[in-house]
Amino acid sequence: MSTVPTTCPFCACGCGFYLLANKGELVGVAPSETHPVSLGRLCARGWGAHEAALWGDRLRQPLINRHGNLETASWVEALDDVTRRFRDLIAAGKSVGVLGSPRASNEENYLAGKLARAGFQTNNVDFCFHSICRPLFAGLEDVCGDYAPSISLNDIEASETILLIEGDLAQTHPRAAFSVMKAVEAGAHLVTIGYSRTQMARLSSLHLQTTPGNEGEVIDGLLAAVLRPGGGDRTSLAIPCEGYDALLRNVEAVKITEEMRQAADWIAHATRATFLMAPTSGYGDQTRNAAAALATLAAVTGHLDRPDSGLLPLLARSNVRGACDMGVAPDRLPGHQPLCDQRAQQRLQDLWGKKLPSTRGLEAESLLQSVSGLIVLADDPSAVLPMGGRALAALGKIEFLVVLDAFVTPPSRIAHAVLPIACFAETEGTLTNMEGRVQSLQVATQPPGEARPGWQVLAELCARFDAGVSYNSTTDVLREIAQAAPRYARMEQRASDDEWGGRWVKDPDRGKFKLYATGAAALTSAERPHVLVRDGAFDWGRDPLVSFSPTLSRDSQSQQKLFPNGFVEICKQDADGLGVPVGRQVKLTSVHGNAVVPIRLRADLKPGVLLVPYAFRDHVANVLGTDSVTAVKVEQA
Amino acid sequence: MVFAIQRPGMAKWLEKLLEGGEVIAPVRGPCGDVVFSTIRSPAQVIWDFGNPLHPPKRFVLPQTDPLVTIKRNGHRHEVEPIYDDARRILFNVRSCDVKGIAFLTRMHEMEPADASYLRRANRLTVISLACTTPCPPGFCVCTDSGPFLSDGYDIQLTDVGKSYLVEVGSEKGEAAISVVPSLFRKATESELLKRKKLETAARSHFGQETCHFASAMRRISTGRVQDSLWDKMSDWCLECGGCNLICPTCYCFSVKDLRRDGTWIRCRMWDSCQYAAFTLEASGHNPREHRKERMKRRFFHKVSAQYYTRDSTVGCVGCGRCIKVCLGTTDMPAVVAAIRKGKWHE
Ligand code: SF4
Ligand code: SF4
Repeated sequence: MSTVPTTCPFCACGCGFYLLANKGELVGVAPSETHPVSLGRLCARGWGAHEAALWGDRLRQPLINRHGNLETASWVEALDDVTRRFRDLIAAGKSVGVLGSPRASNEENYLAGKLARAGFQTNNVDFCFHSICRPLFAGLEDVCGDYAPSISLNDIEASETILLIEGDLAQTHPRAAFSVMKAVEAGAHLVTIGYSRTQMARLSSLHLQTTPGNEGEVIDGLLAAVLRPGGGDRTSLAIPCEGYDALLRNVEAVKITEEMRQAADWIAHATRATFLMAPTSGYGDQTRNAAAALATLAAVTGHLDRPDSGLLPLLARSNVRGACDMGVAPDRLPGHQPLCDQRAQQRLQDLWGKKLPSTRGLEAESLLQSVSGLIVLADDPSAVLPMGGRALAALGKIEFLVVLDAFVTPPSRIAHAVLPIACFAETEGTLTNMEGRVQSLQVATQPPGEARPGWQVLAELCARFDAGVSYNSTTDVLREIAQAAPRYARMEQRASDDEWGGRWVKDPDRGKFKLYATGAAALTSAERPHVLVRDGAFDWGRDPLVSFSPTLSRDSQSQQKLFPNGFVEICKQDADGLGVPVGRQVKLTSVHGNAVVPIRLRADLKPGVLLVPYAFRDHVANVLGTDSVTAVKVEQA
Repeated sequence: MVFAIQRPGMAKWLEKLLEGGEVIAPVRGPCGDVVFSTIRSPAQVIWDFGNPLHPPKRFVLPQTDPLVTIKRNGHRHEVEPIYDDARRILFNVRSCDVKGIAFLTRMHEMEPADASYLRRANRLTVISLACTTPCPPGFCVCTDSGPFLSDGYDIQLTDVGKSYLVEVGSEKGEAAISVVPSLFRKATESELLKRKKLETAARSHFGQETCHFASAMRRISTGRVQDSLWDKMSDWCLECGGCNLICPTCYCFSVKDLRRDGTWIRCRMWDSCQYAAFTLEASGHNPREHRKERMKRRFFHKVSAQYYTRDSTVGCVGCGRCIKVCLGTTDMPAVVAAIRKGKWHE
């Protein structure tokens, strides 16, 4: 029986545990008290992490499309095929692209980006979950110019005030939720902002209920309460920030409730505060504005300058931060450096020995709808992208689709070439968690059949497109990352910060903020008085790490079975008003179109709000269009 | 009869035991954790350690436990049991864990007896190390499962200074010392006295701190726990299942078939009664849909008089692991205290 320390592949908290293996097969998970994040604890996903690798429908052999059928091939045949087809497409002037993944390691993502930029000479590189968190990142960057100054999960426990812009923290980031609970238990004030009374909202000292998309308005209220005379302690604004006067003017007219005043008071007077924000749904720029307002609030109350305070965007999947850091974005280079940064471009060209393209690439959704050749690394765009099932249809139209994955997924079934790679338990590499901690994956068992570690396959592809050097190990790749991404400088040689070998990415400098101010716009109208919101940011039920796990997949499978037509959630008052009994259908109409869906009651919603779980977004695709919040008319169907 | 072994003799004994089969003991793991692991040499054994967070129950009840293989043969299916016949020695197990394994064995002996479990358990020799310094989170005095044991072990060792006291509790224990009888001698009066003193000292470590199971039990068994209390407490649980998975006495499982080379291997897997899907029925109906109902169930099973009467013990061995592993704040002592006081976080 072997006991192999590794990093949790699920959420971005970045817990660690031991994978237990017996005779070459995974048999279980054991927790660790010494792991700096876990400290003995795991959530249900972590406890079941061995299952998907063991029980999953695994890709074992390279497959290529011969006469319309996917047939097994040797690695040489498959790689030759991919190389030839991509060369042809590029030679014919057709566009190609690469999708990286938060389910893949830093090394894999880095090589995916290198393959696109240096190999294919395109900035068409992104990852699907980026579509969800991009507005959140953008809002924080509007204020901080970069990632917001963060805080470690352990330090959250010592916070006096925590402001949580809810997704559903208890579900999405159980380990982070634990820190918040500990803080609350110790007497901290937890303020939650959201449209439903989630578990964290029930534990809060104050829950500020919004309508979907209007989180920013409530944050504006907090800002106003802090800034207006008698509001908070304004002296905490230590350094002059750009935009301060405009901000003051802007909040003049904002309505402040008694509750906002109370929450603002707690934030302003705390010595240590944590700001947490999920990628909320919003109409237009609402999410970006809410994120900017949050960062502004944190900045003006002085918390972004304090080492024991900080702001954490709540990224659902394990290596979102890593994928961003590796430059898996159409407008970013490794190290999260802007594409237009000449010095960064130059450094990368010198390092890779190739001239690099400077035009911005396409974002995941447009990318997969417009390229002729696409490489998808360890992801299922139809499960992740807001566009849902339509992504699969778009993938089906691509001239040459290559899938690198450990698991059989819908895209792997329609690909022209399938390259089987190792899953997280079978390869080395690193993941960067939401705090910026770089942690290792280790080999607990061998990949099945002929599957190979993903980094090796990507390195080979890079070499075939004249973008390669030879790497003997993931450490070699990390060494190159350390040169490409200044924040990862000397990462591979640095002594680790803990017994588990974790090392911190350099946090951005604190202190230079550009304050933000905005007003809100009304979404609903007399004609469409309700709002429909896409609830949540990610559907774990469709992630192979969950869907192939017998223990973890039960809830989502049961829901899919019981609700083949999906459902929307609505409060009793609204359902009664419409005269629609539970389980019966309603017709939803928005500017985009309409749909008929069954309803389920939900007690913690305000009248006028309807929720569609992320997993069921396809059933209201016509109504939502490309929005995540939209005004709707609701009628009996 | 109570024996003793001189300190230097321990390595020799372990060497002999290693010749006879697998020996599993707490060792310092790769990242500093103390973990149960198969040892290759006596030098790996550590003597001063906190109890491993991951309990030794997996050596009788693995997290993934293959039970039978199912093969298709024409129109029929052939089912063949999979037996784990390995002989194992668990060495340096703490008292609470000995009681945990004894508890599991009692459960699996109940009709219909679980052949697969019993085969493993019957081939397992449990050599415990009495806790002269109780571990910080433990409350074994409240559950009658430590710090020293009076039964349940095959052998109980006590560090009495220059030697270890060796109490043999079963035939398997006798067999374990008979591999090198020359190492063992009759314990001296002063060694026996030392053991007594150590036990008294260890017990006094707990001071007045007790878990008050009795009064919680009265309330739980007579339905005198307010629903609102369960409601409140259940918001402080994050449904990780850790409390069940690391609990030395929990044995809930689910079953799933694993496909391997044309055959199916039916596996039993650890499960948690705290997971919503544990009682989810195919129809979609869930008798314990809300977390508070699941939490109530967990504590009813562990602390009610009904089960106490059947099992003659609470379903807890006081190891304190759930305090360390709970991703919420609803570990055993915290909930028992809340039940007794009728209050949570007030
Ligand atoms: S909280 Fe996140 S990182 Fe930790 S065990 Fe759960 S899924 Fe894994
Ligand atoms: S360990 Fe704690 S959080 Fe996890 S299921 Fe048990 S009571 Fe709930």
